[in-house]
Amino acid sequence: MTATLPARTAARTGVLVLAVAAVADDVPGIRTLTLRRSEGGPLPAYPAGSHLVMDCGDRRNAYSLTGDGSPAEEYRVSVLLCPDGDGGSAFVHRLAVGDVVTASRPRSAFAPVSTARHHLLVAGGIGITPMLSHARAAVRWKRSFELLYGHRPGAGAHLDELRDLCGDRLAAYGSTPEMLAAVRAALADRPLGTHVYVCGPAPLIAFVEETAAELGWPAERVHAERFSAADLDPGEPFTARLARSGTRVPVPSGTSLLSALEEAGVAVPNLCRQGVCGECRVPVRSGRPLHRDLYLSEAERAAGDAVMCCVSRSVDDELELDL
Amino acid sequence: MGAEHTSVPRWGTERPAPDPSARALLLVGFGARGCAITTAWAADVPAGRAVEVLAADDADEAVLAVLTARIAGARVGWRLMLAGPEADVLAARAVALRAGVLDAEIRCAVTSTERKRVYCPHCRTTTATTAPVAGETPCDGCGRRLHVYAHVSRRAGAYLGFMADAEEVA
Repeated sequence: MTATLPARTAARTGVLVLAVAAVADDVPGIRTLTLRRSEGGPLPAYPAGSHLVMDCGDRRNAYSLTGDGSPAEEYRVSVLLCPDGDGGSAFVHRLAVGDVVTASRPRSAFAPVSTARHHLLVAGGIGITPMLSHARAAVRWKRSFELLYGHRPGAGAHLDELRDLCGDRLAAYGSTPEMLAAVRAALADRPLGTHVYVCGPAPLIAFVEETAAELGWPAERVHAERFSAADLDPGEPFTARLARSGTRVPVPSGTSLLSALEEAGVAVPNLCRQGVCGECRVPVRSGRPLHRDLYLSEAERAAGDAVMCCVSRSVDDELELDL
Repeated sequence: MGAEHTSVPRWGTERPAPDPSARALLLVGFGARGCAITTAWAADVPAGRAVEVLAADDADEAVLAVLTARIAGARVGWRLMLAGPEADVLAARAVALRAGVLDAEIRCAVTSTERKRVYCPHCRTTTATTAPVAGETPCDGCGRRLHVYAHVSRRAGAYLGFMADAEEVA
């Protein structure tokens, strides 16, 4: 690793070059891309619930793969257009057949628990995408599962294929109160050994986590996939001290620790740059991290010996990193 | 093996309390001291929770079969609490873990660590002993002298033994 390399190089190994083989807009605002290797051939298999980090112009966004994960020549992702977003979804919605995109290999951060007796899948809106992958894998591997899917009336992405795939294991709701009542009823009475997985808007995830806790579910049985970290404030300035070189890197308000490190010529592997993927974890020697990511567990946060440098900052004026 | 990394459980000196988030609990006491603890636990469980208390002399097949049946019928929100000698608590915990119960759903109070169950990987028999860790015990199955190793299998609920003189020239 040398200081002259651009900081992203370390994370760029294993990049997939993919051509858009098909575009489908079955539901307004939601585009499904079929991606194949430009040169053809098989793509890496992946655990259900995995995502690709795709280069979307000047952004890098994580999109869930919707297949069952077994080796195939195609990947599929479905992307909701967010007109008020940062442009990643708009980039995807401008793609046409034949365009070439680059993406990471599949990354698994939301896999089914292999020892689960039953899988309770809860999806809201475009949060259906990792759940479609889970449902396909569950069917393929004959796992016990059910899917509760809340969507806007007439805007249920993948609804027809889910009906074919899941049969009576699918319950779809066009109204939020009905959806939440069904989620509560399920959480109130499922066999010990069940794990619940939720992906969707933040209020749905919060409802599942809170209701599960209230009904006696240990956190270890509850798994959530968030779209992205909430909008974060610019934060207080602090100094990062690099223990191995003795270098001091100032991190001004409004600049992330990751950006400051990159500007100082320190290469840190990173992907999503929004506190989700876990790639940019750096070890902390002293100082208290101000955790703002969605990746570290409560226990890891409490240990205070690592920080996700893309979004997290420092409580103390100085944070000593093992770099 | 560094003591820091041993898998031998450190039970702690404080007796755990019933998990307030539990909706139903099974309390299993082994021996008089274990049963005294489950009685105290039962009194501490908040009102409105379903509580079942089992009393047993030790973790024999009959009580482990009842435990297995209760786990099979349990719903998420259920908790298991075990009290008694380490050998019995480990055996019952192993049954629960193998059935998919999580550590977060099990609380244990150990009244003594004198008795141990030692698994022999040479003949796959489990032997009851009072030998200390790093001590020796003959295997009930094959008669080998087993070194009681500082390793406890969560899945088997037993200490690992191995042939004490395996390296010596016969």
